[in-house]
Amino acid sequence: MEATEPSETIEQLRTSFFYGRRSDLNFKFARDLSDDEFGDFLSELFAATAELTDGGDPQAVIDVAYRWQVQAYAGHLGDPADFPHRKSDTPLTPLTKPLNEARIMLLTSSGHFVDGDDPEPFGEPHMTQAEAESRIIDFVRAEASLSSIPLDTPDDQIRVRHGGYPVQAATKDHQVVLPLGHLRGLVADGVIGGLTANAYSFVGATAQGHIKRTYGPAWAELAKEQGADAVLLVPI
Amino acid sequence: MPTVSVYVQSFGHIPALMGLSRSLITQHPMGRPLGAPGDAERQRAVVERALTLLLKNEQSIVDFGEPYRRA
Repeated sequence: MEATEPSETIEQLRTSFFYGRRSDLNFKFARDLSDDEFGDFLSELFAATAELTDGGDPQAVIDVAYRWQVQAYAGHLGDPADFPHRKSDTPLTPLTKPLNEARIMLLTSSGHFVDGDDPEPFGEPHMTQAEAESRIIDFVRAEASLSSIPLDTPDDQIRVRHGGYPVQAATKDHQVVLPLGHLRGLVADGVIGGLTANAYSFVGATAQGHIKRTYGPAWAELAKEQGADAVLLVPI
Repeated sequence: MPTVSVYVQSFGHIPALMGLSRSLITQHPMGRPLGAPGDAERQRAVVERALTLLLKNEQSIVDFGEPYRRA
C-alpha cells in the first residue's frame, strides 16, 4: 500500500494564514476562530463571492470578511482580567485651550518612515514587507524605533513596512493611517490651531513593556518639546 | 498630555481595558483605521471627529458609526 501524506487538519488550515505557509495579514484572524466558525466564515464568503459573480454588490464580500475579523479579534486577548496592560487609573488630561488654537502632534504605530531615513530594523538595510512579516517574532521582542516624518514630506517620499498588519492600503494611500494632508487641511480651515513640525511613526509590533515603561514617557516629553497641546494617536 | 486615539472595531475593546482617555472606534477593517485608500472624505471626517473628542473631559469611547466603504 502506498504511503500518503497526512491530511491537513482544519486547525492547521486556519493557522496557516497566521504567519504560516499561506500567511495573509488580512486573514490571519482565522487562527482565532474555531473550526466551526472558520467553516461558517468560508461558507458566507463563498456565497457572497458567488453573488458578486452574478452582479452582486462587492461590499457584501467586504462585509463578510470584516464581520468575521471583528468576531475573531473580540476574544483574541483571552480573559480581559488577564490582559497585561489593563489599567483603571489612567489620568485624563484636559485640553486647556480651544481646539482652533491647539497644536496637535500625530503619533502612529503604522511603521511609516521617510525615504532615505529607513530605521533599518536589526541593522538590515532595505528590509522588505515580506521579510518584516517573516521576522515578526523578532519585532515583538525588540525595542521600538521612532521615525520622524516632517509635516511637509511629499507623499511619494513616504514608505511603510510593518510585519503585523496588511500594509497594502497604507501603501496605496498613507492617509488611511498617517493623515498628514488632512491635518494640514484642518489647520488651513481653522479647525485646529497648528501642528508640530514632525509626525511620528513606529512599528507597533514591538516589546510592549518597553513602550509602557520607557518610550511612552519619553514620547510624552517629546510632544511637550515639540510644543504640542495634544496628541492624536493612531494605533494600527 | 491630552490624547485621543482612533481604533478599528476589531480592537475596539482595548481602550476600555487600558483606561484610555478618549477614543474613536471606526467600523473599518484592520489596516484602514481612517478609511479606505482614496476615500479622502471619510478619512478627514474620522480625523476631525477624533480631534473634537479632545474637548471632552471624561473618559469617552465613541463609535464613528459609519460602515467601511470603498472609494
